[in-house]
Amino acid sequence: MTNQYEKAKVSDYGYKDYSFLKPILKVFSVLFAITMIIFLYLPIIVIAIQSVNSSKNTSIFDSFTFEWYLNIFSEPDLLNAISNTFLVSAIATTIATVLGTIFAIGIYNLPKKARSRIMFLNNVPILNADIVTGFSLMIMFRFLMIIFPEIFGLTTLVLAHLFFTLPYVILSVIPKLKELDPNLIDAAQDLGIKPMKAIHLVIVPAVKAGIFSGMILALTMSIDDFVISFFTTGAGYDNLSIWIYGVLGRRNLTPSVYAFSTLLTLFTLISLITVQILQRKRKGKKK
Amino acid sequence: MKTSKYKLLSIPYTVWIMLLVFIPMIALVVLGFTDMTSNISFSNVHFTFENFDMFGERSITTAFSNSLTYAALTTLISFVIGYLLAYIIYQSKFNNKFAIMTIMILPMWSNLILRIDALANIMNENNILVELIGFSPLGGLIGTPTGILIGMVFTYVPFMILPIYTALEKIDPSLNQASSDLGLTPLKTFLYVTFPLSFKGVVTGAIMVFLPTFSGFAIPKILSKGNMVFLGNIIETKFNYTIFNDGALLSASMLLIIFLAILLIRKFDKEGETLL
Repeated sequence: MTNQYEKAKVSDYGYKDYSFLKPILKVFSVLFAITMIIFLYLPIIVIAIQSVNSSKNTSIFDSFTFEWYLNIFSEPDLLNAISNTFLVSAIATTIATVLGTIFAIGIYNLPKKARSRIMFLNNVPILNADIVTGFSLMIMFRFLMIIFPEIFGLTTLVLAHLFFTLPYVILSVIPKLKELDPNLIDAAQDLGIKPMKAIHLVIVPAVKAGIFSGMILALTMSIDDFVISFFTTGAGYDNLSIWIYGVLGRRNLTPSVYAFSTLLTLFTLISLITVQILQRKRKGKKK
Repeated sequence: MKTSKYKLLSIPYTVWIMLLVFIPMIALVVLGFTDMTSNISFSNVHFTFENFDMFGERSITTAFSNSLTYAALTTLISFVIGYLLAYIIYQSKFNNKFAIMTIMILPMWSNLILRIDALANIMNENNILVELIGFSPLGGLIGTPTGILIGMVFTYVPFMILPIYTALEKIDPSLNQASSDLGLTPLKTFLYVTFPLSFKGVVTGAIMVFLPTFSGFAIPKILSKGNMVFLGNIIETKFNYTIFNDGALLSASMLLIIFLAILLIRKFDKEGETLL
């Protein structure tokens, strides 16, 4: 007996072929992504152009020069702002990484309810508007000024930076603690290690990826901070952002700032690429 | 790893965060109701409602509505751009997550104020790009609402892309296959499966964009050349003239809106998974 019916097609079941749309969508998404990335990088590109522009006027390109790169070291105000930025970030990041890891271990071992309460509080500095954090910390430090009159400056900046970087370290260490094998500590203790010693002998090596990413986050947040620093620093103690903001009002920004910024961007880019290459190599070796 | 001794390590942090979260909030409210003025001291403090008078001033109401409108618009535009970009990256065969993160985060590593100033420079009629390549995509936008919006969107859109991308990455790919096996078109799969599952990334992203644009003062000041006043600018002025009572009251009112945002994020993303 021969089949008298036509073979059914998927379209008979209501399937519509949309595959003709695929190349159109693909072209659109590639173009869109490229445009957006150009826009994201536009300010960086402009800063790089200004850094090699011999004219101080930001709307004219005169000729190519490396003068501003050499001048970075002969601009005392700029150097001062840069060193303040690095000093504050280095101190705050170091303390935040060490204390953040210790606090994260403490928080992780709390009962569930207490833990979720503390994590809610931990989110406040992250989610709060910078300007409100800055203003309220400034008020706190003003109260402290009654006891410690010389507090404004490096001390208040480090304290303020600690306040908003600690939560990031804690947030990146806790997930790694969750992944940790619970028997690890028991085993360590069976082998006779005291709980406090187990922290740096067992826990820290096991969660170091989380500690490292927390440290990078803390450094990123701290080095570029403007608003909180603006409200909590003392007169005359400027970090780079505050200094640039002040100079912009007077319209005499030295192009060496652009040179420094370009160097920093290049340095970041190169270190990120190096990390990536090293990781690939390590993966390759494992295989 | 439940060692009860470790619990004690959380005590100093609890004290520290309470000290620097709650006490300043109370101080903001107290300052809002007093006439302590520029020198924070406890002598001659009076309780007063006078500080509330400023909410009747036109400059303050304009600043409030400017801040809200621009923050809402920036969030909306960043959501559209951010979702599209995150989705394009998610769909592409490009699976080097680290490289994507690097591309999105790198601009954030150079100084914010300097980047905004660079944007302001190329928003002038005559700018360096016109001279170098013959045209400037942003020429003539300085001082205009569009210019300010562009500045805000391109400063904060990475904060939208990253959480959405993280949320998309966490979706189990077999769910998409299941949905097409059940006969859903790609569009319907997106609407009923992918989008709802990535929604908590959207909420996190929206808040990460909304809050800094709502409270910021540097972008509007530099890009509007000081012609447009936002809530942040008023707080900055009050701070510069050491009118701390008004500054505190305005910060406290800003806190109300921020608190709503935090409650919202808790509703959609209980464990703060997409926050980083």
